[in-house]
Formats: sequence, C-alpha cells, structure tokens
Amino acid sequence: MREIVRRAIQSRPELTAELLQRGMFGPEEKAELLPLLSKEGSLKGGMVGPVQFATLLAEGDAQFAARAVLRKMLGHHELTWLDRLLRFQKPSKKRDELTRIVERAMEGRKGNAHRNT
Amino acid sequence: MPTEILEAPETVLLNAVVKNLTALAARAWAKRWMITFTAPTGIGKTTAVDYADRSLPFDHRVIHCKQITTRYTLLRALGLAPGEKWTVHGRNWMRASDLYDRAVERIRERPYLLVIDEADRLSLDCFEILRDFWDDARLPMLLVGNEVLTEKLNRQHERLFRRIRVRFEQRPLREADQRKVLEFMGYEVADEEFALLWKLVGGSPGFAEALLENANEIAASKGAKRGIEALEGAARYFPMCRKAV
Repeated sequence: MREIVRRAIQSRPELTAELLQRGMFGPEEKAELLPLLSKEGSLKGGMVGPVQFATLLAEGDAQFAARAVLRKMLGHHELTWLDRLLRFQKPSKKRDELTRIVERAMEGRKGNAHRNT
Repeated sequence: MPTEILEAPETVLLNAVVKNLTALAARAWAKRWMITFTAPTGIGKTTAVDYADRSLPFDHRVIHCKQITTRYTLLRALGLAPGEKWTVHGRNWMRASDLYDRAVERIRERPYLLVIDEADRLSLDCFEILRDFWDDARLPMLLVGNEVLTEKLNRQHERLFRRIRVRFEQRPLREADQRKVLEFMGYEVADEEFALLWKLVGGSPGFAEALLENANEIAASKGAKRGIEALEGAARYFPMCRKAV
C-alpha cells in the first residue's frame, strides 16, 4: 500500500473525503484508495467549512497535512487558520516542520522546507 | 521625548494584556532595558503587539517571528531603514557581518525599541545576535512569546538571560474578561456555551475563537444555529478538549 493511501485511511473520514473531493490524490492513488474507503463505508463525508478543514489537518497526521499543503489543496484563509491552530499545539519537530511548510506556502513558496542553519 | 500612550484605536479592547504590554514597552524604551513578556498562546499577545505598534509614541520596530525566520532575515530587517527596499543581489550580496555592522551603526545613530513577537520561535543564532545588539548598541528590546521563551532562555541562552531586567508573566484572562473579549470579537455566547468554553480553554480568547468558528461551521452544515451540541462537536476535533466534553 502506498504511504499516502495508508495515511488517508488512518485519517478522519471527513478529512479524507474532503481531500478526495479537492483532487489531492493522483489516479493510481485513487484506484488504491477508493475500494478501501467504500469497504469501510467512510466514503461519504459532508462538506466541511474552512476552519473545520484546517482544524482536521492541524490535529491529524502532520505528514498527511504537509502533503495537502504542498499539493496546494488549501486557500489562503485555510492556511491562515492552519497556521494559527498549529500554534496551540505543544512544540515538536513535526509541528515545526509543518508550520514552516505552511508559512512558505503562505508566502507562495514550496519545495524543500528544511532549515539550513 | 514623551512616553505617554496615545489613544486606543477602536478595534482593540484595552484589556490587561494590552495595557501591560504597552506599559512594558514604554518602560523598556525609557530605561533602555531588555524585557520579556510571556503569556500562554491565544491570550492576545499579537493583538497587543499590533496595538503597541500603532500607538507607541517613540521610535520602535516590530518583528513578527516565524518558523522561517533566520539570522539573515533578522539582520536584514534591522539593517534596513523603515520603507527601504532590499536591492543588493547577486555578486553584491551583503554578508551577514556587513549587515550587522550597518544595523549597529543605524541603532547608534537613531536608537529605537525593538519588539519581537513570537520570540519563542527564534533559533539559537538569532538569540546570539540579539545579545550582540545589546552589547554593541544597547538596543532596548521587548521579547514577547509563550512559556517556551522563558524555558529556551533559561536553558540555552544564559548570557542573554542575565541581561534581561524584567521578566513579566501575564496570567490568563479572568472569566469576566474572557467574556468581554468574546463579546468584543462579535460572538454572542449563551451562558451554557460560555461555561463549556471556560471549562475547555480557560482564559484564552484565541482558542475559544477556534472552537466557536468550528462550532459555527458544524451548525451551518446542519442548517441550524450554533448551540451547545455544535460546540461539543467542535471540541471533539481537539484532542486536548476531548476528555473534558
């Protein structure tokens, strides 16, 4: 199973459904993901609002959230909320990396977000 | 130079956080001190810093730190005059040491108060630079951050820590103040909702706002008005609140 598919399965169903709707997954990932989701019955998810979406990403798997940001699945308003919500969490390496990715996305940059200094 | 605080813009509620922060900024400037202001996340530090930026009647600069702030970006922010644009590129790229000298020279010529918001996010080398600015130019500073700032300074930056004259810890807002802030932010919160909010997040308007916005969206998706059920639903998104619901 692909890493991203595994993470999608483990995430909250409404988040995976929303990201699926927004087109985060490629055709091969979709082909692998859809049967698994329909088996679990978690394919149908209602629409989530921008703050809900950002909250689900902030409180979920950091690497999955990073993928969503790098694949430009979030608007500026959602990025701002994600940035705010990440600050409420205890500092950790994963959280800091995700924050860096979000900040870079807000500035219109992407790619390698590792700190050089 | 006058140090009294100008009138507040209408969009800011002058609560204890705003008053304390502006008073400390004025004191840091008047005494040429280095001061830390720490408070839990979501209490309104950034709002207070923005207010201070607009209202302090003396020269000051505000730097909003990010996770992507580096020693170079910090030096660049201090080395440039307000409004000046960065035009040195390519072969003429300025070294950090040149930028540092330029910043020190400017501070000596025309001192100002440096306010650093979210200073807890600064990296080790940025703190070292701040200490150098203090030693070489006696730059007064107000470092604003959460409890991590005190911990970081205590553990990793003893030399900078010793130079700090006042370490102010802001307490979370009291119940009545929290209610006032939420009302000021435009939230109509029923008593039942407020009781739950207080139980979940205490005196943190920022966190309360995140919960209320989530609750509003949950309620809207069901075509209803926000109520206690929507708020409980929103709390389930936050692991730290789940147990309390």
